[in-house]
Amino acid sequence: MAATRSAFAAPLSSPTSSLRRPPHALRLITIFPSARAPNLRASSPDSFHVFSRFIGPRASYASVDTGNGSSVSIDEEFDFDLITIGAGSGGVRASRFAANLGAKVGVIELPFSTISSDQTGGLGGTCVIRGCVPKKLLVYGSKFTHDFEESRGFGWSFESEPKHDWATLIAQKNAELRRLLGVYKNILTNAGVTIIEGRGKVVDKHTVEVNGKKYTAKHILVAVGGRAVVPDIPGRELAITSDEALDLPSQPEKIAIVGAGYIALEFAGIFNGLGSEVHVFVRGNKILRGYDEEIRDFLADQMTLRGINFHFEESPLSIEKSSDGHLSLKTNKGTLHGFSHVMFGTGRKPNTKNLGLEEAGVALDEIGAIVVDDYSKTNVDSIWAVGDVTNRVNLTPVALMEGGSFAKTVFGGQDTKPDHVNVATAIFSQPPVGSVGLTEDEAIDEYGDVDVYTTNFRPMKATLSGLPDRTFMKIVVDVKTDKVIGVHLCGDDSPEITQGLSIAVNAGVTKSQFDSTVGIHPTAAEELVTMRTPTRKIRKKDTKVPEAVVGS
Amino acid sequence: MARKMLVDGGDGMEVEFDYDLFTIGAGSGGVRASRMSAGHGAKVAICELPFHPISSEKLGGCGGTCVIRGCVPKKILVYGSSFHGEFEDSKNFGWDMPGEITFDWKRLIENKTKEITRLNGVYKRILANAGVTLFEGAGKIIDPHTVEVHLTTGEIKRFTTKHILIATGSSAVLLDIPGFDDEMRGVVAKNLEGRGVNLHPSTNIIKIEKIEGGLKVYSDRGEEIETDVVLMAVGRKPNTTGLNLNAVGVELHKDGAIKVDEYSQTNIPSIWAVGDVTNRINLTPVALMEGTCLAKTLFGGEKIKPDYENVPCAVFSIPPLSVVGLSEQEAVSQTENDILVFTSSFTPMKNTISGRQEKTVMKLIVDAKTDKVLGAAMCGPDAPEIMQGIAVALKCNATKAQLDSTVGIHPSAAEEFVTMRTATRRVTPDGQVIKV
Repeated sequence: MAATRSAFAAPLSSPTSSLRRPPHALRLITIFPSARAPNLRASSPDSFHVFSRFIGPRASYASVDTGNGSSVSIDEEFDFDLITIGAGSGGVRASRFAANLGAKVGVIELPFSTISSDQTGGLGGTCVIRGCVPKKLLVYGSKFTHDFEESRGFGWSFESEPKHDWATLIAQKNAELRRLLGVYKNILTNAGVTIIEGRGKVVDKHTVEVNGKKYTAKHILVAVGGRAVVPDIPGRELAITSDEALDLPSQPEKIAIVGAGYIALEFAGIFNGLGSEVHVFVRGNKILRGYDEEIRDFLADQMTLRGINFHFEESPLSIEKSSDGHLSLKTNKGTLHGFSHVMFGTGRKPNTKNLGLEEAGVALDEIGAIVVDDYSKTNVDSIWAVGDVTNRVNLTPVALMEGGSFAKTVFGGQDTKPDHVNVATAIFSQPPVGSVGLTEDEAIDEYGDVDVYTTNFRPMKATLSGLPDRTFMKIVVDVKTDKVIGVHLCGDDSPEITQGLSIAVNAGVTKSQFDSTVGIHPTAAEELVTMRTPTRKIRKKDTKVPEAVVGS
Repeated sequence: MARKMLVDGGDGMEVEFDYDLFTIGAGSGGVRASRMSAGHGAKVAICELPFHPISSEKLGGCGGTCVIRGCVPKKILVYGSSFHGEFEDSKNFGWDMPGEITFDWKRLIENKTKEITRLNGVYKRILANAGVTLFEGAGKIIDPHTVEVHLTTGEIKRFTTKHILIATGSSAVLLDIPGFDDEMRGVVAKNLEGRGVNLHPSTNIIKIEKIEGGLKVYSDRGEEIETDVVLMAVGRKPNTTGLNLNAVGVELHKDGAIKVDEYSQTNIPSIWAVGDVTNRINLTPVALMEGTCLAKTLFGGEKIKPDYENVPCAVFSIPPLSVVGLSEQEAVSQTENDILVFTSSFTPMKNTISGRQEKTVMKLIVDAKTDKVLGAAMCGPDAPEIMQGIAVALKCNATKAQLDSTVGIHPSAAEEFVTMRTATRRVTPDGQVIKV
């Protein structure tokens, strides 16, 4: 039986003749202040609304004399105002915001495991359990190697080389995950949200089933996220994804990482930092499709300098296990042997299989993502979706935004569209990338006349460490308005630096405003406010053929 | 070769000067003003004392305080010393350092000196490439259009010039220093103690004595501490002695700083001053700004004033502090509306594993009526790098709503700045705190 706020149970008879009420059904009357009660019709504007619920099949409209003189009409009777399937970033945000706005919310989540599957997940979702958080911790853990190397130029020396214990790192990481899980549980309980552990499935537009029990809800929010995909090649069962990579029993000696996006690159950095031999297999001729061209080149160079082996235009065809237990990876260019692990970071897919969505009439796209409108509503009026399952911008802060906007729209009486424009992104490769706005090529396509400012410098630390680290920065400016429409960084602290710049870009900052900002010295970030001369000026003539004019 | 220049005052007489601009001091402000003026077509000369890490009336060096004994070497030493904390943090991430870890101070200082020497050479090349003539020696003003240089070769030379720029910077002495946001000062102090620094607040040193093996320090609280080194860091004073300013009639403030107007002009029309010697905001980027504006004003055909609003700055303590805009106290006293103070104090992700008991503190000051962000502050790892972008946002008059509508970068510390939803307190212009 779902918990309610300020509820008292009273067996009451009610004139609900049209619906058969099961004998075990109990009618609960919940009374609470009207200010936050959403989507209820009250016949008199007094200070209370009455909720009436059945734990069981939905009851129809009923009018009840509350006995205090007011007569309140009860809307369709649901167990919950909102049931959320999936307690990850988007689901938790939406649920607790909705609850804070007065809704009765239930959230369904699979039992915890570091590895996700049809039967396992956990409060906090991908971000907390097998995404943002653990990966960042592993990046921290693996970065120390670079720190040790750098320290020599600053006077430090080690009698013997620092040694790393993988098990300690993973144990610490898992302890932190569990702590965060507890935090998420508290967040939800404190907001008055009911947590139901199990696999939720949509039965119809107002009904969800979990653990054999059915619950009704005015609204259903699907926030089940996504999962890593392994291509269907022979030997795929020998491969791991990021899930397993974050929880391996031992550190890979030699790992093949297939992929060219942020996941592949972040793990390449992690394992390389810890001393593994890393080989990255990229289908195309460059890493990081979709990012600014110069960033793509620069990062690959820097990662190569740190010891990572890139194999471009090389795709895996099959994986085989040899007699000595190592893995061989056959590609279109040949076969490489001796890998302790083969990891795929080639993409993630929405978790929409077997959720009852198709049966409920919810439209999915060709990769299985739930199709939603600007308000995160599906084609079924009472079913909504936020986060990775909608495959819009698959980032935790975006899922938070989508979840918050959904709650505001549905329960806060304020139609709010999440804004997906100029969302800053970061890649925690080593060195990391920070980016907001348009790439140079996108800017040229959209704006035509564009000034591009770039700088490629040796950060101060490297002047003493002697390491070949460099930092690259680019500002893209729309000439007509002088607005800064893109900023791209690769080098130490890039993600941290980018956040403030993202505020400015979203506020419509101009290059002049950038230039009139005094620098903070000595930092890397100050370079961004001191770039005076365009590296190149792109001018689109009437013929619509862009001409690069080298800046003075 | 001398160029024909018109004399200011317009009596119609043409007088030939050796230079359009003669700069005394090749630090941040002096070099910037000189090379940019040359870029605008001016004939420029600059004089600077011979290079040495320790400054004096006879020693300095191209690059000035910033490059030789300020920003650059201090950051290098901060990097060097930060490694110790990194090694500690690494343990809980699974790192074990068997055997001894040693730190060789001499090597750090050697490598630091190598770098500042390299940069000193770079600055010389910057000047040469810009066509600025560099004289090594001490400069002195003879009259509003004449500079005398005591060259290190022993010669004494005089040069006439249309304009004189004084950019001699400052030196360390005993002075009062202003404070930062009170709340943030407390955070920095707490962090210092957390890292092992012993703070003795409200205490003055009354005596220093040489003893066997080092020094002994006596405080006005009766403490006696034996130590190797006593470092005085209580302020810096403008370098105006030896310039002969009195004789020429250049006015100074009480503290010895050269008095200038908004365009960096002294009371003598042909004499200007930028940088620490004017004691406005003593930061390299501000000196650069002052130098750039001056070059434009004098030779770029555009009279332009440096803008001192919302100048960000950083203190490279470990962890560092960085601020931009108004502190809470300043906001309360300067704003006519109520202000909203947003604070966030959290354990940075790295510390959840390392076990370091250190919190990052972030603060936003917002005008309650206009929603304009008046100030931001942060004490924690990477604060200076993070604050630069926040400073740009303040430059375009960002509102709290704009910060809040910016999607965070996750996981980062910086994203806290765009997720502070609830004000910690509301303060009225007369200092009354209203709990929100």
